[in-house]
Amino acid sequence: MKIIAAKKILKANEQLAEANRAAFNAAGVLVVNMVGSPGSGKTTLLEALVAALRGRMRIAVIEGDIAGSIDAERMEAIGVPVVQINTEGACHLDATMIAAASRGLELAAADCLVIENVGNLVCTAGFDLGEHVRLVLLSVTEGDDKLVKYPAIFRGSHALVITKCDLLAHVNFRVERVAADMRRLAPDAPVFQVSAARNEGVSTLADWLIQRRP
Amino acid sequence: MHEVALVDALIAQVEEEVRRAGASGRVVRLDLSIGRLSGVSVDAIRFALELLAPGTIVEAAEVEIRQPSAVARCAVCGHCAEIDQIPVHCPRCGSPEIVVEGGRELLLESIELEESSP
Repeated sequence: MKIIAAKKILKANEQLAEANRAAFNAAGVLVVNMVGSPGSGKTTLLEALVAALRGRMRIAVIEGDIAGSIDAERMEAIGVPVVQINTEGACHLDATMIAAASRGLELAAADCLVIENVGNLVCTAGFDLGEHVRLVLLSVTEGDDKLVKYPAIFRGSHALVITKCDLLAHVNFRVERVAADMRRLAPDAPVFQVSAARNEGVSTLADWLIQRRP
Repeated sequence: MHEVALVDALIAQVEEEVRRAGASGRVVRLDLSIGRLSGVSVDAIRFALELLAPGTIVEAAEVEIRQPSAVARCAVCGHCAEIDQIPVHCPRCGSPEIVVEGGRELLLESIELEESSP
């Protein structure tokens, strides 16, 4: 007997991601899946975004890390409702973890839920969490060849944020090369240049996020 | 990538499909499609199957993996080619404006069960 399945192997995750998205839409919450390498500046950018959006968007956060609660503590310190997920070794977040974690947040009291994924340019690409926007970060210290080397994560993202741009004078990083590679992989995704340390470019990104609200 | 998580999901899915079809018996063959741009390593899938399959419904299954290519089309000159990697430039006109289609499949295509004796 042969069963023709013709189904996606991650169908269970995708179904749960769709259910998450429906719940987020019902609550009127914009959900952002923030991905990037360890040390690309995800938490620092998030702190800067919270400040830039104060009074305009109420932000809640889910922090995904293999271990520890350092990032959640940073969010608590700036008054942001936060749930920490520890994946205990897993290299990515999945839709099940987000369904459970979002029950620990009062979604009705938020306009935007940012999910800071595990620092990883590979595995996070494969798992839809139910977000509306996948924001991929690339810091200038990582090098300008990363879009060529890790295309999947960039190809499925809705915007690219080049971080630590205050260091551009000190590193060999060609912004125009990265922008060209991003046009090739994700033609509709805007490319933002920010420096959270100098608070440059953050408000442009914040304005773009506000326009994404469902 | 996360091939162990994928194989774990795959085995659960095979169990569900077999149950839904009202079938029983050992799975003797699985057909999968893993696109060449999916970021998933076929070798790592096979290794994860060796680890996870024993004691499950797919324990005795022969696993066939098809690896569909992607097609790249140059938006400037229209040149088309099958690719295994996203090219940086069009090989014909040098333009970086390339549209890529397909190659990202991760599919459980079919499941074959042992003929059950009457």
